[in-house]
Amino acid sequence: MENDGKRRAFLKVLGLGSVTLGTAGYSVVSEAGKTEKKPHYGMIFDQNKCVGCTDCEVACRKVNAVPEGQVRLYVENKTDPETPMEKRYVRVSCQQCEDAPCVAVCPSKACHRDAKTGIVTMNPDDCIACKYCVVACPYDVRFINHKTKAAENCNFCLNTNFAKGKEPACVEACKYKALVFGDLNDEASYINQILHVKDSVRMKPTFGTKPSLRYIPVVKAGV
Amino acid sequence: MNGAINFTYGFSHGVEWGWPIAVYLLLAGISGGALIVALLVRFYKKQQVDTPLLKAASLVSFVTIAFGMVFLVGDLEKPLYFWKILIHYNFSSVMSIGVMAISIYIPLTLVMCLYLFEKEISVILAKKSKLVGYFAMVMSILTRFRPLVEVLSVVFAVVICAYTGFLISVLVRFPILNTAILPALFVVSGLSAGTASAGMVASWFFKEDAHSSDMKTLHVIEWPIMAVEIMLIAMLFVSLLVGNEFQQTTTVAFQSGVYANLFWFGVMGLGFGLPLVLNFALGKHVAHSQMAFYLSGMASVLGVLCLRMFIIYAGQTFGV
Ligand code: SF4
Ligand code: SF4
Ligand code: SF4
Repeated sequence: MENDGKRRAFLKVLGLGSVTLGTAGYSVVSEAGKTEKKPHYGMIFDQNKCVGCTDCEVACRKVNAVPEGQVRLYVENKTDPETPMEKRYVRVSCQQCEDAPCVAVCPSKACHRDAKTGIVTMNPDDCIACKYCVVACPYDVRFINHKTKAAENCNFCLNTNFAKGKEPACVEACKYKALVFGDLNDEASYINQILHVKDSVRMKPTFGTKPSLRYIPVVKAGV
Repeated sequence: MNGAINFTYGFSHGVEWGWPIAVYLLLAGISGGALIVALLVRFYKKQQVDTPLLKAASLVSFVTIAFGMVFLVGDLEKPLYFWKILIHYNFSSVMSIGVMAISIYIPLTLVMCLYLFEKEISVILAKKSKLVGYFAMVMSILTRFRPLVEVLSVVFAVVICAYTGFLISVLVRFPILNTAILPALFVVSGLSAGTASAGMVASWFFKEDAHSSDMKTLHVIEWPIMAVEIMLIAMLFVSLLVGNEFQQTTTVAFQSGVYANLFWFGVMGLGFGLPLVLNFALGKHVAHSQMAFYLSGMASVLGVLCLRMFIIYAGQTFGV
């Protein structure tokens, strides 16, 4: 987010010059930032909008055929018992780390970064179910699927909805628009527009894995 | 820490890596430790003959690492896919690096066994006269490399002990595991369990005299190894105690509950206390008895097993 902000400022400065200079400047920027060509998918969870209906969980399990009793996505109720009327829900799912420990430790490369989309995903056929990725994930959001006997994580519906050109199942299912999915490297994307105007945080950033999920927390004035 | 928003729910449930991994860590430690000690004794004393200690250590190191692999592979939910590790090599994975080291180390221990049991194997093969000829030929080639094999064995034995520590010290979610001390602790406790195992096997199977020069050496080095081990455990505890808020919460593992019992009775009492009492507190008569020798040897091995169990279970129980 900080980088996006800087780039925008840079472009604004260029925009003060002539149009030709501006476009020249832009092409230089896109060459310098190699990541620009590759997408970087991310997601926003807006706690201000989530009502905890768990429609997203249900849709995820259906679309991705997650076995009974297991989840790729969980909505945790973090309401403070002292203030039971002020509901707080938090999405628990793979944070799609840019420096993903799960990918680093997997001995069979079953857990890998998809070459085209950059999404951390799975090749269940190569997984030997050693659970190294499960214990290495700082967010504890991986599990061994009972049916496929392979480790799994939220991969933004890469093999299901994404492959069909649709939004992830959870995003589709959320009636309250608490979830936004998009390409963080695309300056014009809706997700970036939201990030430019709202404060968001990353979960447990001290682990240093550069998660791609952004959370917009409820912040009440006067707290 | 990130006060604004946080989640505490996790998808894994409790201890994902259970006792088979702890047993594997013990066996890998014994294997490496026994070979390191016996070969260093050989180098230091410039021994030319094949001592019962080296025989015992070679046998122990091969058998324990082979059994260790059974536990390691058996713990996978898809053990028959183990070969996938070998074809999709991931150089950033400690597990891949470990498997590579093991696949060099196991043949090394096997060759060490061949050197030390050459006569015995020849006797068995003599019944089939053809095979004994081939065996003699292979051995005449192998024997030329023996000094190299011995040095490589020590190097890889250290790598095996250390990698088992790195394997779990990269798990950032668990403060007890995610420390720099762990690989060192695993090397030293491996030495301690390896010394005890090699000593017991040498005396039981290869009739090494309890007062021979090698056994005296083992008896002398046993205590400094134990002292270093205790020191490393103390350092681990102190580093958690003075660490950040998450590290501090894990010190409960040492203070109450089933893991604290495992630690104080198993690691401290059985592993360190019993050998010390048997050897120093009950007088010379007990200390020099055969029973005390085996009892204290087994106690040290079990103590190291308890240490591995404690690290694995308590480590994964107290997550961030
Ligand atoms: S959150 Fe866990 S599973 Fe997801 S990319 Fe990061 S380390 Fe991997
Ligand atoms: S459980 Fe599967 S995906 Fe996870 S590290 Fe092991 S082989 Fe890789
Ligand atoms: S569907 Fe939307 S509102 Fe309902 S729990 Fe999921 S994120 Fe929250």
